[in-house]
Amino acid sequence: MPHPASSQAPGVRIDGLTVVYKTPAGELPAVRDVSLTLEPGTITGIVGESGSGKSTLALSLLNAVQPPGRIAAGSVEIDGLGDVVGLSGERLRKARGAHIGYVFQAAQNSLNPLKTVGKQLLDLGRSHGVDDLRGLVREARELLGRMGLDGARVLDSHQHELSGGMRQRVGIMLALVLNAHVVVLDEPTTALDMITQANILKIVREVHAERGLTTLVITHDIGVVAEVADRLAVMYGGRLVEQGPTREVLGAPRHPYTRGLIQAIPRLVGDIDEARALPGRPPTLATVPTAGCVFRERCALRMDVCETDDPAAVAHGTRIVACHAVKVREHA
Amino acid sequence: MITGNGITKTFRQRGNVLAGRDVQALRGVDFAIAKGGAASFIGESGCGKTTLGRIIAGLETYDAGEISIGGTPMSGLKPKQRQPHFRKIQMIHQDPYSALNPTRTVHQTLQAPLALRAKQTGRSRQWMDERAAEVLALVGLDPGTVLSRYPHQLSGGMRQRVVIARALTVDPEMLVADEAVSMIDVSLRLGILALLKDLRERLGVSVLFITHDVATARYIGDDGELYVIYRGQVVERGPVDTVIADPVHPYTQSLLSAIPVLHGLELPGEQPVVPLESLDESQPDTGCLFARRCPFRTERCEGERPVLGRTECVPQEHACFHPERRSVVARPMSEV
Repeated sequence: MPHPASSQAPGVRIDGLTVVYKTPAGELPAVRDVSLTLEPGTITGIVGESGSGKSTLALSLLNAVQPPGRIAAGSVEIDGLGDVVGLSGERLRKARGAHIGYVFQAAQNSLNPLKTVGKQLLDLGRSHGVDDLRGLVREARELLGRMGLDGARVLDSHQHELSGGMRQRVGIMLALVLNAHVVVLDEPTTALDMITQANILKIVREVHAERGLTTLVITHDIGVVAEVADRLAVMYGGRLVEQGPTREVLGAPRHPYTRGLIQAIPRLVGDIDEARALPGRPPTLATVPTAGCVFRERCALRMDVCETDDPAAVAHGTRIVACHAVKVREHA
Repeated sequence: MITGNGITKTFRQRGNVLAGRDVQALRGVDFAIAKGGAASFIGESGCGKTTLGRIIAGLETYDAGEISIGGTPMSGLKPKQRQPHFRKIQMIHQDPYSALNPTRTVHQTLQAPLALRAKQTGRSRQWMDERAAEVLALVGLDPGTVLSRYPHQLSGGMRQRVVIARALTVDPEMLVADEAVSMIDVSLRLGILALLKDLRERLGVSVLFITHDVATARYIGDDGELYVIYRGQVVERGPVDTVIADPVHPYTQSLLSAIPVLHGLELPGEQPVVPLESLDESQPDTGCLFARRCPFRTERCEGERPVLGRTECVPQEHACFHPERRSVVARPMSEV
């Protein structure tokens, strides 16, 4: 897929990122030693189940992990901005919105129920010191129009007057209106209907290409990533277990978790007995193993080394996989 | 056997800013679910599928029509007389986190309905304990480890199994599962779906599955019937795999076209159908309810409302003047 405006899209390099949460049992890692590069002008999708650390990773891009959590190690380098982990105070606040746009889950009601969308837009403009508020409103109206909404009407509406799909588009508008070029979408279509979901995903793809963005989509739904993302990264128990070009990962998954996850998706056609649930259950912050592979409890390829050594993320061509079993087969 | 004829339900909104606007949740729906059979209701949110499920479970009243359970019409009965009939139909809700009392152990949760049951049939405490262990084993949980646990000590998948076990304590004839897997982690969903299918086969319990996710509807069994509901009307109805593979109603086709394609594993359907505009219920509908969004509408569609029925060459029932098969569903690459 060509990205005509990718010249201005910034790259993002997450390196060795570890985020810990303080609990009565000590500091436990929700994200452990994650390295991920978002190439300029691409859409990357992160897939994971609840508790995999995907939302914590997304918040780290804004350096917005709330206490009791903290970024314990690693860096998030964004072109034209530097290491976000090192930013603080006013500089960090300005970077959010101006450099990095964040689209929250529609169901989370991220809009203020007491103010019209237009008032919230003006608040956003003032807090970022925008002088030309009229221009900002014009830009917002154009963006909403681009997404198939009546801009003037939406800006005059309160959130309860908008449907789920409309709210989601308002969220995308608010993330982009300050001209951010790195955009994070957290569960962009959860709680939306199928047809609305297809609509939003189409808009995400188009706006991404038109504005020259670097986009990160966080979701539990592989279908969403399959529709929009160029690259796919799979998270489990705070670790990135596999990443690579979406089609390649879906067509030939290497990590046993990726394979199990794809096999567990209910499909519309084909033999229904081929789909199988993964045994066991995903780990939580408290039950994730501190040593060895995080997936071994549910893994069919479990070996002795998995008990003691956490597999390193190793590149195999365009694919990066963290699994002892995959390495063995490669060398055999 | 549970049947419904011409079920109609209108919600009237009073005393707020939207006063006077009626919402027609169901417009004369017929259904029949055989003993041990399976059916799925699919449609977007607000289409009336949940309302219909709640009516079938006896949790909601209806304005017109008739529901019969095991051949007994419900409308002639007093509420007290209806109770034993509706007890045979148990509901499994979407959210296993709020469906269980957080201050009760699994043991306590299961004892409440069992105590009622024991009182009615004159059985002992020992029977209650045995039965509790039995229903937990049926849903694939180990009674020894689970009975003393509180809901927060269980995963989402285990909680949903406890909810199903609780429903089984009263020996139901039918389970109504309303979006029962949408809040369960992806890797565990199939386990719950397989359990529902297994209960059908082993206990002869019929299953009514309500969902917006068409793919999961297949997993309750290939003999299941699929009902596609749009704005309170069944627009297409037939065997699950027939409707998914060869849909004829443009609304069903839009729904199926909207399902994400797993690029790399699947190829998109060749004739995807995209609705013309988004749903707007504020305008009056004189003809087909889907006409305003339908890319294939004709003049007839705007003046006349099609009713559910059969036409030549189409194996399933549909409510469309111009039924036509279109290839909308993604195909696995391995089959191409």
